[in-house]
Amino acid sequence: MADKLDVQPGTLALMILRTLEVLGPLHGYGIARRIEDTAQHRLTLNYGTLYPALLKLEQEGFIHAEWRQSENNRRAKFYALSAAGRKQLARETRDWHRTADLIAAFLAPKREAP
Amino acid sequence: MRFFRAALRRLAGVFTGHRADAELQEELRAHLEMETAEHIRRGMDPAAARRQALLTAGGLTQAAEAVHDQRGLPWIEHIAADVRYALRTLRHSPAFTAVVVITLALGIGANTAIFSVVRGVLLKPLPNRDGDRLLYLRQSADGQGQANISFSVPEVRDLRTGVPSLGGIAEYSPWNLTLQGDDGAVRLDVGLVTGNYFDVMGLSPVLGRLTRPSDDGPGVPPVMIITHTFWMKRFGGDPSIVGKQVKLDAQSVTVIGVLQPAPFFPDRIDALLNMVASPHHVSAQMVQNRVHRMTEVVARLAPGASVAQARSEVAAVYARMQRDYKEAYNPGSHYRITVTPFKEALGERARLTLWLLMGAAAFVMIISAANVANLTLMRGVRREHELVVRAALGAGVARLRRLLLVENLLLTLVGAVLGVIIAIFGVQLLISLAARYSPRANEIRLDGVVLGFTLALSVTLALLLSFIASLPREGTFASWISAGVRRMSGSLRKQRLQRGLVVAQVAVSVVLLAGAGLLTRTMVRLSEVDSGLRTEEVLALDVPLLQLSSAASGGTDPMAWFRRLMEMDAIAKQQYERMRTEIRALPGVNEAGLGSSMPLTTSMLTFEVKAEARAIDVGEAVPHADVRTASPDYFRASGIPLLRGREFTSTDQASSGLVVIVNKTFADQFFPGEDPVEKRIAWTGPLLKLSPISGDWRTIVGVTGNTRDGGLDAAPRATVFMPFTQMISISGALVIRADSNAPGLVAAVTRVVHRIAPQAPIVSVLTVAQIKDQSVAPRRLNAALVSSFGVLAVIIAAVGIAGVLAFSVSARTNEIGIRMSLGADRGRVQRMILKEGAALLAIGVVLGVAGAWVAGGIIRGLLFGVAPHDPATLIGVAVMMAAIGVVACWIPAVRAARIDPAITMRSA
Repeated sequence: MADKLDVQPGTLALMILRTLEVLGPLHGYGIARRIEDTAQHRLTLNYGTLYPALLKLEQEGFIHAEWRQSENNRRAKFYALSAAGRKQLARETRDWHRTADLIAAFLAPKREAP
Repeated sequence: MRFFRAALRRLAGVFTGHRADAELQEELRAHLEMETAEHIRRGMDPAAARRQALLTAGGLTQAAEAVHDQRGLPWIEHIAADVRYALRTLRHSPAFTAVVVITLALGIGANTAIFSVVRGVLLKPLPNRDGDRLLYLRQSADGQGQANISFSVPEVRDLRTGVPSLGGIAEYSPWNLTLQGDDGAVRLDVGLVTGNYFDVMGLSPVLGRLTRPSDDGPGVPPVMIITHTFWMKRFGGDPSIVGKQVKLDAQSVTVIGVLQPAPFFPDRIDALLNMVASPHHVSAQMVQNRVHRMTEVVARLAPGASVAQARSEVAAVYARMQRDYKEAYNPGSHYRITVTPFKEALGERARLTLWLLMGAAAFVMIISAANVANLTLMRGVRREHELVVRAALGAGVARLRRLLLVENLLLTLVGAVLGVIIAIFGVQLLISLAARYSPRANEIRLDGVVLGFTLALSVTLALLLSFIASLPREGTFASWISAGVRRMSGSLRKQRLQRGLVVAQVAVSVVLLAGAGLLTRTMVRLSEVDSGLRTEEVLALDVPLLQLSSAASGGTDPMAWFRRLMEMDAIAKQQYERMRTEIRALPGVNEAGLGSSMPLTTSMLTFEVKAEARAIDVGEAVPHADVRTASPDYFRASGIPLLRGREFTSTDQASSGLVVIVNKTFADQFFPGEDPVEKRIAWTGPLLKLSPISGDWRTIVGVTGNTRDGGLDAAPRATVFMPFTQMISISGALVIRADSNAPGLVAAVTRVVHRIAPQAPIVSVLTVAQIKDQSVAPRRLNAALVSSFGVLAVIIAAVGIAGVLAFSVSARTNEIGIRMSLGADRGRVQRMILKEGAALLAIGVVLGVAGAWVAGGIIRGLLFGVAPHDPATLIGVAVMMAAIGVVACWIPAVRAARIDPAITMRSA
C-alpha cells in the first residue's frame, strides 16, 4: 500500500474525462476500474475521492449522468461526456502537456557550465 | 460563466439534498456490489470479496459526506446551524441579549441619524451637473454689514473677460416681488438671472423650459421659472401651471418651467426670472455703476482648470480692478474676494454644528461598544466551560470563532434594525434643525449609502467583539480540556482589558457631559441677553406696500421713475397711517407704531455715514450704519428705552427739518465721551446717488438703547433712525403693544391690514418674544441633543462600572470569603471594592477632563458667553461623573460585603 500514490489534485478530472472519451458512457465503478488499470494499480481511488469529482464535473456541465441497466443487468448511474466536456478535455490535455514539458525541462540532468 | 453555473447548481443543491442523498446511496451500493461481484468472479469467497471491496471503498459514510459537501454549499449549512445555535443561546440569556441589543440600538440609531444629516448636508454630491466644479465668489469688506456685499455688473464683466479658468459665470440678483393670487398676495424671494445661469449651474427643468441667452433681451417678455419647493408648496405640484400667466407686482409674467430640486445660496429662492422682469436691472445705473453691487456670482470651472488656478487668476484681476477704479475700493475697508467651492459655501453654517453632533454620536457609539465588549467578555468567561466541552468534541478554533462571530453579528444586526427605526424618528427632528443651518436640509434621507454605513458599522462591531474574546491557540486545547470545569480565566490580561474599557467609558462620558454643559450654558447665556426692549406682549408685522418694480415700469427715465415712486410712497404712507390708527383703536392695544422693519430683525439697508467735523483716518474702514425709520410711537410700542434727548413727534414731517435718533452703539462710535444730541450726521458714499435718500445733514435729537437686531449672539449694530415721514417706505412694519395676550390680536390686526391694502402681502406676523426665540432655538436644540447624548453616555458608563465590579466581585468570591473568615469585617470588604471602582473612576475622570479641555477648544465657535475651558463646567461635570460612578460602585460593593464566608468556603 505504501508505494501507492494519492491522486494529484486536478488530475483526476482529466483522467475521468479521458476515460469517458475512450470508453463512452460508463458508471462510477467502471471509471474507477479503468483508471486503476491504466495506472497499473499505482493509484488508490476511494469513493470519497471519485464521487465528489464526478459530481463537480456534472455541476460544471462537462459530463451528464443517467440511470441505466448495466451489462450484467444491474441499475447503475452512467456518466457520459458532453460537448463542453470534450472541449474541456482537449484544453486540459494541451495544458497538461505543456506543464509536463516544462517540469521535464526543469528536472533534466544538470548540464556542465561551458 | 462556468463558475457561476456550478455555483448556481450548488446553491440549488442546498435545497435538493434529501433526494440526492438517497440516489447517492444507491449509486455507492451499486459500485460496491459490482466490485464484490468482480472479486467473486476472480475466485474469492463472498465474505472476503465483500471485505476487500469495502476496503478499497475507503468508508462509505465519509464518501457520502464528501459528496454532500460538494453538492451543496457546506458553509451555508454550517452558518445556518450556527445561527440556530446562537439564537438558542441568546434566548437562554434574555437579560444579556436585551441590554446588548438596546445599548447597540441607541448607539447605532444616533450615528445613523446624524450621519444621514451629515451626508445630506455636507457630503452628498450636489444635484447640479458636475456640482463639484461650481464655485461661489464672495466680495467682502470691513465694516458693519459688509461681510458679503456681492458684485456689480461691471465687476462681473471684468471677471468674465479676465479669468479664463472660470468657464462660465452665472449671475443672480436677489429681489422681492409680490405674487397676486386668488387667496391674497404673497411676497416672493426671487432671483433675477442672466440667460446663461442654468447652463452654468448645471440645472434642468422638471417641466417646461428654462431661460437661455435669448431671454436676456432686448424686447423679450418677462418669464418665470419656479423652484421645485415653491411649486409643491404653492401650487401643490400642479403641472398645468406651466404656460400660465401670473401677476407679479404690476406686471403679467408667464411661468415657463419648473426647476429640478436644487439648493440656493446665500438665500432661499421661490422663483427665477430673466433680468427684464425688473426694469431697474437693465437700467444704465445697474449695468454701468461699479459700486451698485446687487449680483451674486456662481462660476463653473473651465475644463481642466483647478480651484487654485481660479483663485490666483481672480486675485490678479481683482488687483487690477482696485488699481484702475480706486474710488470704488477704499483701501481702509480692505475689499477682498474669496473663491469657495459652492458645496462648501452651502455647508459653511452647518459644518461645525454637524461635526459636533457626529462627534457626540461617535462617542456614544464608543461607550456602547465598550459596554457590549465588557458584557461579552464577562459572558465569555461564564461560557468557557461550554467552549471547552465543544472543543473536546472536536470543534476547531476557527469553528468556535465563527460561532462567536455569528452570535455577535446577530446581536449587532438586531441592534442595527432597532437603531434604524430610532433613526427614522430622529431624522425628522434633525431635518428641522438642519433647515436652520443649511439650504440642503431637504436632501437628508436614510438612503442606501446611509444604510450601508449602518451595516458596515454593525459588522465592524461584530468583528471587534468576536476577536476580543480570547480563544486558545490551535494545539493548546489539551490544557483547556484537562483543566476541565475549572475556571480558566479572570486572567490578568482580560481583567485589564475590561478595566481599560471602563476607564474609556468614563473619560468619554466626561467629554460628552462637558460639551453638553458648555452648550447648555451657551443657551442659557443667550436667553439671558438683554435684547434691548421689553418683549412681553408685543406683536410685529412685516407688511411691504411699495412695489419698486411697479414704479419703474412707467419707463426707464430716472426722473420719471423717481416721481412715480414718490407718488406711490405718499399713497403707501397714508395706508400705513390708517392701519396704525385703526389698530391703535382696537380693544386691548396700548401702543401702535410704524417703522421700516420689525424689532430684533436686521434692516434691509446699510449705508455709509459721516459725522460733521469728524474726518475718517487714513486706513480706517468706512463707517456704516443700519438705516431704519420710526414713527413717534415706535419706540414706546417696541419698548426701546430713550437714553437722551427726545422721541420723534408728529411735527417731524417731510417738510420740516431733517432729524434722526441714533442708538447707543452709534453714539459711542462717532461721539465717544460726548453728548451726541444736536450734532449732525449725513448719509454718504457712492451708493447714495442710486437711492432716493438725500445726503443732507441731519440733526441728532435723541439716543436710544441698543437692540440686538443681528441676533442675540451678535454685537449690537450702529443704527440711525429717521422719522417714518422723512424717508421713502421701501419696507414697512407695524409694532403693536397689547394689554395682554398679544398673539390673540393677530386675527383682528390682519383683518385691518387686508381691508386697507388688499394687494399687500403680510410677510410675517410674530410676537417679539417669538423673534427673540428664533435666535435661541437652534442652540437649544444643539444643547438638548448633546445633553441627551451625554445623559445616555453616563447611564451606559454607570452600567458598565457596576457590571465590571460585580463581575470582579463574583470572580473573587472565594478570596473575599477567605478574607472574611480571617477577620476582615464587612466595612473593610466594602471599602476594598469601592476603592477598586474609585481608582478606575478617578483615572477616567482625569482623562475625560483633559479630553474636554481639547474638545472645548474645537467647539469654541458654537459657544456664546462661556469660555471654552470654563472651569465651573469642567469641575461640575467631573464631580457629577464621580458621584454617579460612586453610586454605581456601591451596589457591587454592598453585595461583596454580604458574602457569607461559610457558604463560599464550602462551595469552593
